[in-house]
Amino acid sequence: MPRGKLMLPALLLCLLLCACGKAAERSVGFFAMDTYMSVRAVGADEETLAGCRSLAEELEAKLSVTDADSEIAALNAAGRGILSPETAELLRRALALCGETEGALDVTVYPVVRAWGFTAGAYRVPTSEELTQLLQAVDYRGVEITGEGSVLLPPGVELDLGSVAKGYAGDRLCAYLREKGVKSAILDLGGNVQALGGKADGSPWRVGIRDPDGDGMLGVVSIRDEAAVTSGGYERFFTDAEGRVWWHIIDPETGYPARNGLLSVTVVGPEGLRCDALSTALFIMGQEKAEAFWRADRGFELALVTEDGVLRLTPGLYTRFEPAKDLRCTLEVIPDA
Amino acid sequence: MLKTRAWIAIVAAAALVLGLLSWYTLTKKGSGSVVEIVQDGKVLRTIDLDLVAAEYSFTVECPEGGSNTILVQPGRICVAEADCPDRICVHQGWLSDGAAPVVCMPHRLVLRLKDGEEADAVVR
Repeated sequence: MPRGKLMLPALLLCLLLCACGKAAERSVGFFAMDTYMSVRAVGADEETLAGCRSLAEELEAKLSVTDADSEIAALNAAGRGILSPETAELLRRALALCGETEGALDVTVYPVVRAWGFTAGAYRVPTSEELTQLLQAVDYRGVEITGEGSVLLPPGVELDLGSVAKGYAGDRLCAYLREKGVKSAILDLGGNVQALGGKADGSPWRVGIRDPDGDGMLGVVSIRDEAAVTSGGYERFFTDAEGRVWWHIIDPETGYPARNGLLSVTVVGPEGLRCDALSTALFIMGQEKAEAFWRADRGFELALVTEDGVLRLTPGLYTRFEPAKDLRCTLEVIPDA
Repeated sequence: MLKTRAWIAIVAAAALVLGLLSWYTLTKKGSGSVVEIVQDGKVLRTIDLDLVAAEYSFTVECPEGGSNTILVQPGRICVAEADCPDRICVHQGWLSDGAAPVVCMPHRLVLRLKDGEEADAVVR
């Protein structure tokens, strides 16, 4: 039976070809949006990867608060202006998140952040009078935006979308890659991680969570079609003449770096923009309020590291968390109710 | 009959070899110890940390001014000193967790592992 004889070798050949057909993974790294970004994508060509870079640079040109030619800088300088539809929509969403977090996130805190020197690396501790003065212009509720994207800022108010821009860029880049037919990619946008699909072999992407109190990782979470964003004070900080440490996450309520018992907050969810905004807001809120916020929302997963060395995970994150072998933190699950 | 058995044996052996081969290639991991020092997209230096016997350091000059001092020890590497304004590269500590690069934005310098193995990326 010649047909039968041919069947098996043919089948084997197929198997072999399948193994060879494993789509190639390409990666690109570049500087954009004041950070280092890398994209690893399966089955993307060079042109698609170059497109990622252009897209990030395009967003930077629109949103950068320090680039005088950007839409945001122009708006800050003039106090009024008309935004492009994309920037207007991003501002609307950012303002909604400020409201949702009751001002823990505030896109108008920029003048205070600048006074601390975090925008230029020229660090200093402002006097409390100076901060009180600056805080008078910090209130996202004063920002008026019309349906057409016309924005009016009260006197002294300046916008900075830096707390949502990288997260939004993750969403945009994933949408772009999906459009180009890519089904599997992992993006590292200066520490914001966002996954498109799972890995080429079908397993989820493995994302390490940085130990805020050491060099290594707390452990690894598995994600698929999700973003993971951490806020913490352990990279961007300075030490003053008296040895006090001040980090870059400013509490819009006090004007001082937010110190509410947390070392880092990691938010995992389907949308980069929301994860980015919430990681900052929940860091500012502190443990109790952050956990209450999660209980009321449930649309994301949460990992908190407290100053007394406890790692607290939501139940949904706990089930896909693999602790590091040398984990020194106490591991706790955030109560469901 | 015998001929058929021989075929089955050949096919089985071939399948086994293929299976082992593909298992090996699919699960093989990078050593995770080779670090690239990249400035503005150009790889300046490649170091296999497993081959480092004694501590040493060197300085990378930025074409636009400024420098970073890189400290290399057996199995690990970091930016020990830098004159950039924010010093985030120094705060990042040892490049030891597989997938998170150490980055100096002002000097456009990146230390990255060629093949991280513990994780695909690190959120930080």
